[in-house]
Amino acid sequence: MSLTSKLHALRPQKKFKTKISSLQKKEALWGLFFLTPWIIGFIGLYFFPMVASFVFSLLEFNPTVPDQAAYIGFDNWRRALFEDPEVGLSFLRTIRFSAISLPIGLAFALFLAVLLNSKNVLGSQLYRTLFYMPSMIPLVATVLIWNGVLNEQTGWINIIIQNLTGIQAVGSTGLRWLADPQLVYLAYTMFGLWGVGPAMIIFLAGLQGVPTELYEAAEIDGASWFQRLGKITLPMITPVILYQLILNVIGSLQYFLAPFVLNRGTGFPEGMTRFYMVYFFKQSFTFQNMGYGATLAWIMFIVGIILTVILFGTAKYWVFYAAEDKE
Amino acid sequence: MRNKRIQILFALLVVALLIVACSPAQPAATTAVKATDAVAEVPTDKPAPAEKVQVRWFVGLGAGSDEGTFAPQKAFVEEYNASQDEIELMLEIVDNDVAYDTLSTQIAAGNAPDIVGPIGVRGRDSFKGAWLDLAPLIAENNYDLSDYDPALVKFYLIQEQGQLGIPFGIFPSFILYNQDLFEEAGLNLPPAKYGEKYVMPDGSEVEWNMDTLRDVGMMLTFDSNGNDAKTDGFDSTKITQFGFMNQFTDPRGIGTFFGSGSLVADDGKTAQIPDAWNAAWKWTYDGYWKDWFIPNGAYGGADFLQGPGGPFSSGNLAMIHIHTWYVAPWALGEVKFDWNLAATPSYNGTVTSKMHADTFCIPKGSKDPKSAFKVLTYMLSKEHATSLLSIYGGMPARLSLQGDYFASYTETNFPDKDDINWDVAVAGMAFADNPNHESWMPSFQETTDKYNEFWNKWSNTAGLDIDAEFEQLRVALQAIFDAALA
Repeated sequence: MSLTSKLHALRPQKKFKTKISSLQKKEALWGLFFLTPWIIGFIGLYFFPMVASFVFSLLEFNPTVPDQAAYIGFDNWRRALFEDPEVGLSFLRTIRFSAISLPIGLAFALFLAVLLNSKNVLGSQLYRTLFYMPSMIPLVATVLIWNGVLNEQTGWINIIIQNLTGIQAVGSTGLRWLADPQLVYLAYTMFGLWGVGPAMIIFLAGLQGVPTELYEAAEIDGASWFQRLGKITLPMITPVILYQLILNVIGSLQYFLAPFVLNRGTGFPEGMTRFYMVYFFKQSFTFQNMGYGATLAWIMFIVGIILTVILFGTAKYWVFYAAEDKE
Repeated sequence: MRNKRIQILFALLVVALLIVACSPAQPAATTAVKATDAVAEVPTDKPAPAEKVQVRWFVGLGAGSDEGTFAPQKAFVEEYNASQDEIELMLEIVDNDVAYDTLSTQIAAGNAPDIVGPIGVRGRDSFKGAWLDLAPLIAENNYDLSDYDPALVKFYLIQEQGQLGIPFGIFPSFILYNQDLFEEAGLNLPPAKYGEKYVMPDGSEVEWNMDTLRDVGMMLTFDSNGNDAKTDGFDSTKITQFGFMNQFTDPRGIGTFFGSGSLVADDGKTAQIPDAWNAAWKWTYDGYWKDWFIPNGAYGGADFLQGPGGPFSSGNLAMIHIHTWYVAPWALGEVKFDWNLAATPSYNGTVTSKMHADTFCIPKGSKDPKSAFKVLTYMLSKEHATSLLSIYGGMPARLSLQGDYFASYTETNFPDKDDINWDVAVAGMAFADNPNHESWMPSFQETTDKYNEFWNKWSNTAGLDIDAEFEQLRVALQAIFDAALA
């Protein structure tokens, strides 16, 4: 019997009761009582705003002149889905950026976690703290710091590149990280790597949860480090990878702060940073098209749900839960 | 038993938290300044007595958000509050970068301020439909408008919206130049009067037009080897001084430098690029990438152009086209070079000197428009308008105040400089742009956003097919107009 089968066998079996005792009723009532603030909060702060935003999506609604609001049916939806090219473009930019930043970000976090999980690293606690520390800096400050670091005239990255390689990196004809459409996604990905600390910690927790006897058995069988990584470590932490993937996909769809802080959502350079959420914000709060903005928000909500469902749907093919039997 | 006590304790805690969370906030009367995401706010010193009506004054859409203006504006508010005991005027200064978003959020949240301004045409038209028609209040208070040019009063009478403002300040434009750089380059100064010729280094007299401006600008643009932009060995990758730029304006302002126009045709729905703007934009694009006398996007961020008041005050830019609001110590910054004002050049024999005209508006969402109007009349009064205009650097709209305004303005703000050529600013009013370069367009903010996106591209990318770019912009604007007017 495999280890997972044993664990499965040890799981408590469900018990069906036909009668609930008075003590359990009391406990259930207390449970509901304690849940009440959350339920009230959910209804007041999530459910009603969601219903309201759907109603807004059926209106032409400028919040600065609310008396001129008019019901227009599904015109906003038609415009967003079929007529406004910027919706598709901004969504494609988001996907393009995610395709670059998401794998790099996840791989980097996993890479750090694997390194820090190694017994051969001296002072791993210190490194964990150091790698986590940038995550404690507010994101706005991070973006502004990187704006300086990547400045084409005075940023030290360009200065180092120029000094080391002799390539003309500094100056108006140098590497314009934030102004060159070819480089800007890479630059934004670098911002993201600074905030890799929480993902690294979660990966680390996942790695530390892998039973050591599996490694010991593999070592006895003569498996190399890479074989152990590929055959034991990665499969065993696939639930963590799934979790991180879902969080990061949703986070990527909501990507907003860096382009907004850097250029007020102008899309500079050449519209490359007008991501979907930036466009949503501009429509809603700058252009005052609140009805149309609500439609864009709903579309993104639906896309987010679809992607999450797809990810969960594919999980059975690649995510390995240690406590389950895989037939 | 112990468990039950703990449960009761928890229950009480939850109830207490709910009560605290649901209790009403402190009434606004106890706060001197509303919390906003303002970059800078100047609260009044004393909390308002309960019987005083509070009137909130929002500053940020136009002049008034430079740090140097905070103290004098606060002093004005304090003086007003001390002058009467009915109204507590509260000042909210918001940085111009976020002022539009902040104001729209306030209005949308039902938290509109009572007075907004100084506000130009752009600020006003960005919130079309949100302003109160002042005509009933003007009639109710028998407010005397005879001290204003009737045409200027009419300027604020907007079709289907009403009288949205009363004239306050006028901000003509002109060329502002760094006299030291002209002297270092051995060049004659630009004309101090409209109609005067420019004397070239060889002694020839030429019309002061855009071609001359480009030539002079190139002769004032130098690389690190000391070559000017007209010299063969000029290295455009190592420029250390520029000749000219249209500072603190947008593509519509740059277009208007060559002639008045609008991105929307007279029918109000067709996107267009006026011929004069087409020429102005090409001239500027060549100035960025071919003639090199205008700082392009890459050079715009260069350290040597970062002055306290933008590129001009860095001392490495010879000429800019700008409005009177810039000629103030807090806007220009403390500069160590001599400067003065000159005539705007002509294009095809016609001068167009764009104009800013500011006023104060009362939002429809004001909780007490009558009190707001009382404050407004104080601000615009003959006795007090000059104090505000002196802060913002504008010419008085009141005819009776125009006489010796610049003499007193210079005495207050530039006591050590007695040669400022204000006459050229006053003369520039005769060449004001009509239609105004900030005037209404369909979906105002979205249109603004779109043309700025294109402009960012042009100022950062060499070698573009600029005619094709103009056409792409026109098509993009038409799509926005169509959606807005559908």
